[in-house]
Amino acid sequence: MSDVAPEETRPEGQALIIANHTPVTGQRRRPSGEPPPLPRELNTTAAAWLIGFAGWACVWALVFLFDGPEVWITERDLEWMGPIVDNRQSWLTPSMQKVSEIGTFWATPVVGWVTIIGGLAARRIRHVVLLIVALSLVAFISTVISVQIGRPRPLGVSIIGAWEGFAQPSRPVALFAASVVSAGLTLAPFGRWRRSWFFASAALVAMFGFAQLYVAVDHPTDVLAAATVGVAVTLLVYRLWAPESVFPITYRGGKTAHLDIAGARGAAIRNGLESQLGITATDVQLIGVESSAGSTPLSIATADGSRVFAKLYSRSHLRSDRSYKLFRTLRYGRLEDEQRFSSVRRLIQHEDYMLHVMRRAGIDCMEPMGIVEITPDHEYLLVAEFIQGGREIGEVRVTTSLIDAGLTTVAQMWGAGLAHRDIKPANIMVQGDRLRLIDVAFGEVRPSPWRQAVDLANMMLVLALGSSPELVYERALQHFSEQEIAEAFAASRGVTLPSALRASVKKDGRALLECFRELAPERPMVSIQRWSVRRIGLTLWVTVVTIALLAVFVGSLNDIGLT
Amino acid sequence: MRILWTTWRQRCAQLAVSVFLLALTGGCSVSSSLSAPTCENGQSTLIVAQSVPSAELVPCLTELPRGWTVQTVEITQQGTTIRMDSDRAGTVAAVLWFKESCDTSDAVSLPSDLDGAELFEYIVRITPSFRAQRYYVFPGGCVWWDFDFNADNSAALSIDLGNSLVLVSRDALNENIRDSFIDEEL
Repeated sequence: MSDVAPEETRPEGQALIIANHTPVTGQRRRPSGEPPPLPRELNTTAAAWLIGFAGWACVWALVFLFDGPEVWITERDLEWMGPIVDNRQSWLTPSMQKVSEIGTFWATPVVGWVTIIGGLAARRIRHVVLLIVALSLVAFISTVISVQIGRPRPLGVSIIGAWEGFAQPSRPVALFAASVVSAGLTLAPFGRWRRSWFFASAALVAMFGFAQLYVAVDHPTDVLAAATVGVAVTLLVYRLWAPESVFPITYRGGKTAHLDIAGARGAAIRNGLESQLGITATDVQLIGVESSAGSTPLSIATADGSRVFAKLYSRSHLRSDRSYKLFRTLRYGRLEDEQRFSSVRRLIQHEDYMLHVMRRAGIDCMEPMGIVEITPDHEYLLVAEFIQGGREIGEVRVTTSLIDAGLTTVAQMWGAGLAHRDIKPANIMVQGDRLRLIDVAFGEVRPSPWRQAVDLANMMLVLALGSSPELVYERALQHFSEQEIAEAFAASRGVTLPSALRASVKKDGRALLECFRELAPERPMVSIQRWSVRRIGLTLWVTVVTIALLAVFVGSLNDIGLT
Repeated sequence: MRILWTTWRQRCAQLAVSVFLLALTGGCSVSSSLSAPTCENGQSTLIVAQSVPSAELVPCLTELPRGWTVQTVEITQQGTTIRMDSDRAGTVAAVLWFKESCDTSDAVSLPSDLDGAELFEYIVRITPSFRAQRYYVFPGGCVWWDFDFNADNSAALSIDLGNSLVLVSRDALNENIRDSFIDEEL
């Protein structure tokens, strides 16, 4: 008996599997220990700084445990700084004192606040929070180490600058280094601008460090250790929670949700498609980015000349989804029945599942082709059929048959107990005479009746944009009762419309919502506010946590060097 | 083979968040982290001496009387300030200052209980609450107590606390550095 499934009985697109589980096409299982397509790693520079930090940690441990190293290091320090202090020049001393003073009292607050304001203006809340986290961690580490080591200021020399507390590591140098690195990672685009900023920052930190030695408030090793702590901790914080590949700094405008698909990620996408789905990609392009904010949509050309559609999801999209749902819950209460996803994997599994459920219910949406793991727990690619020749419904004339198809789609969703929850022109594609629903990420099984009613209203609005409300209403009566249509428009208002649909209705100029309400029987408006213990508790919790964090932040401005 | 990668990452995140909150809530404040210059431990005493380089004597504290605790210690190039709380006299009931000079024009001279220093005292009021300054003046420096007690607390508390102050000579500290550390001086 043959181990190989006959060619004619194997479903299209499925890899050929033989009895010992070794795939004969590109599809294969990733063995334990083999890295994923895009491993999550610190780059060489960050790793070098972390090794430097670890080196200083060893030195501190030796100094803490034994007397000998402290004596040896202090003797070397005084030898190195001796020539600088002994040769102070009257013309240079005031400048060095000024540099030391500016570095100690002004540099970190100025760089820190410029970064905070610039970051907020560019809507980089995450980077701004990480700046505060980095400064707090650096301040904490510097303080703890300095108290444990208890190193005095340089002995046997005249100190002519400002200082506070113990010397090792130099707290102002550490905070200044952390602030300039944070500023670069928050405001400077990757590449030439960031390199230039880091070179300039290195020069500034070096100048400040030299001034600290000149005025003899720090030893050379105090400055070196502080610069290492400041840079290493900040790089680690940003690399872990705002990696450039996921949260790029750009000033090109447009959606910041879209990931860079060039370089390592582009290669990982190709590699993942080949090894996990057996698809050989020849070209990967962004598609429809202007109407997509919850993922990075891709059009992928394959070796056989066809195309597939893919959506790249990362942790940034997961967090956006969580923030969006928290906002919706605070604003509307339980109506939305929002539950957040715990991981990117769950998020993408949900969309894949919704595609299958919708198709099982007979709804004409894209055929799912599988999920590709790019970085475990961080990035996944949902691959689906590419709607060849498809155009957004807003770009075509809406005929009676398209209106019927759209209304049938909603009726099918109602019948199967489903809701799409994001019906807008960009999510309804017309392919020939077919009306196809895309982007089912917000889809829900057994949604609230309100949500289903809003789906109908939104679909009717979309269809009316390309035709007339009277025609759409007339056709809708073939699928829904007058009461159901009245309920749909009683449940709808500006905020229940996806923002893109709201913009289209506004641009259209016709008062479509009011028009449909006049056509339908009169019905009291459905309240879109639902109060529950959960909503009240959540609102209180968010308010208290926000106020507490702000209060603590304001109270600790001085401790983290921002005043 | 790494199978606990996510768990470790979560632990790292939890640790970072804890340290961040601890740091924000005062853990990274220098003044709340420094310990008072005790006469047994020379670490803080050395930078206290460096805070007033002209002073021939340097303050340190022996064991504080029962009920007194150090709240904050600020040691800078401008001098040293130690704020203390008392379970009876109240929050920041006493502050010990160490500066290059002090104004004793309103104070009266008294026989000093500390060698090498002149004592001056200025009593602002005794009732309903005790408020006074006690100055020790010596070449190149001045150490003084600023007492501000809650109502119904007598001046006797200030005597108890005052007894914990010791003035050590800079020469003795320099000798100690040369003997146990390096051949340099403050």
